[in-house]
Amino acid sequence: MSNSILSLKKLNLAYNKTVVVPDLDLDVREGELIALLGPSGCGKTTTMRAIAGLMAPHSGTIHIDGKDVTRMPANKRGIGLVFQSYALFPHLNAFENVAFGLRLKKLAETEIKSKVEHGLQTVGLAHLATRKPAEMSGGQQQRLSLARSLVMEPKILLLDEPLSNLDARLRLDMRTELQRVQRETGVTMVFVTHDQSEALALADRIVLMKDGLIEQIGTPSELYNRPRTKFAADFFGFENIFKISGNALVGDAGSLQVSYQVDAEYLAWRPSAVTVGNGSYNGKIVGVAFAGEHIEYVLETLLGQITASSPAAERKFKVGETIKFDLPLASGFALYP
Amino acid sequence: MNSKLASRSIIVITLLFLIGPFGIIILAGLSAGDFMTFPPDGISLKWYAKVFEVKSFRASFALSMFLAIGGTIAALLLGIPAAYAISRYKIPFAETIKTIVAAPIIVPGIIVGLALLRYLVVPLNFTVTIALFLAHTALVLPYAVRVVSSSLNNLRSDMEEAAVLLGCSRVGAFIRVVLPNIRSGVLAAFILGFVTSFNQVPVSLFLSGPGVRTLPIDMLSYMEMTYDPSVAALSALLAFLSVAIVFIAEKFLGFSRYV
Repeated sequence: MSNSILSLKKLNLAYNKTVVVPDLDLDVREGELIALLGPSGCGKTTTMRAIAGLMAPHSGTIHIDGKDVTRMPANKRGIGLVFQSYALFPHLNAFENVAFGLRLKKLAETEIKSKVEHGLQTVGLAHLATRKPAEMSGGQQQRLSLARSLVMEPKILLLDEPLSNLDARLRLDMRTELQRVQRETGVTMVFVTHDQSEALALADRIVLMKDGLIEQIGTPSELYNRPRTKFAADFFGFENIFKISGNALVGDAGSLQVSYQVDAEYLAWRPSAVTVGNGSYNGKIVGVAFAGEHIEYVLETLLGQITASSPAAERKFKVGETIKFDLPLASGFALYP
Repeated sequence: MNSKLASRSIIVITLLFLIGPFGIIILAGLSAGDFMTFPPDGISLKWYAKVFEVKSFRASFALSMFLAIGGTIAALLLGIPAAYAISRYKIPFAETIKTIVAAPIIVPGIIVGLALLRYLVVPLNFTVTIALFLAHTALVLPYAVRVVSSSLNNLRSDMEEAAVLLGCSRVGAFIRVVLPNIRSGVLAAFILGFVTSFNQVPVSLFLSGPGVRTLPIDMLSYMEMTYDPSVAALSALLAFLSVAIVFIAEKFLGFSRYV
């Protein structure tokens, strides 16, 4: 691919004898915002460290901008990394933290000054140039860390769990901030996260990983609306996933005879896709929760527990009531192993 | 009320025990008489003046300073990389290495001194000065490794990775990022090492030769010959020196955090 800025081929990553990522292929286009998403231990952080050059792959290649950098040391790759812990230099003030890499490049003092000032401005920290990292809030430290990487004009900017250390409000600010910076600078960003809502909100494309393998790649709406596997569906909020064998659905508690047959391994329903109030099966309501626009029910059924929701305006059921429900094929979702 | 009084008197008594001897030495050195007595036999500064006239004191003070400063610097040059390697890399036998490094403070000084004399000075024909230098370096090394290790452990290693990604080499990252952030630990190790070396008696006792003595050894032998108050005066001066060093260290480094 000629337009891919980052290309991983047959990458095998291992710590000593423990293989974390057996065989990974991935292409990232210039200017993309990519999320490496997965539960902890899925190899996403390891992959990021390999791209940065902080660990050497056991086999396979890494190309940046068409050039093979597999054996190139980290300090020559021109890649920025915003660490989860920010990794700011505590003995330097904000200005000097941002100037650190520029000074190593031996740029003229006036050039350094203008680049640092512009960098601090980009992240809204121009007024705190003389502060030490310890005198800044978590959000400010994160933006400083971002500025420190951005002034180096990296070909690729890697971000490790960029929102996980921030509280809910700052998280929203930072999300907007990252998207704005990405638009303004056009830098290719690859970020690692375990939070699907972060990936959905921020990324152009999501790479869902499991046990070192790519489970599915796609746009947020593709992954959310058309997960291919049980794992992907689980990750993106399908709460009712049942194995299908013959014309029976199989759950934790038992099985349920249905009127249809499908050529798939699993069938899944989002809570809103479950019909409540009418249908061919009986379920006992064991939980009711009001969630604003809709009401969530937990039903005890032959399959085990099912989560369903219906618009708040509809008729309400009470805990203990036995009601009719249905798992229609039309609103179900076929999944493959 | 009673317990308050009790705790106060305990504090006063403790301070008396700690500071009392110091006061006695200062006063004994101020004596106008020819022998070390307490209370002093009149008041004069002549013994304080005499300290600076005794030739052997000057020579042994110079040697002790050389050993304390040189030995501590040598120990830090060995100890900082050792501490770095132990705290950053999974090196085999790290615990064993730590124990071996700590050996000079666990083994009694007398034994260390005798061993060094028997197996270093005698068979290898080392001069006393070289043997003293090596011994003091070894004695200070445990402190250098321990104190520097503890400040390295407080420093996250991702900071070095950040420096590397900004264009530093590994060594460059150590110099630009690690060293500035463990500076106070290094200075604390230096002061601790300096004091340990300067006050060292048992090891130095075995490694003294004709004309080559550290200050504490010289003071001991001076007292065996002459029992005049100049040793008390010298002790008082050294005590003031130590207080000054610790005071400066505390003021500028927050020294007490490391000990």
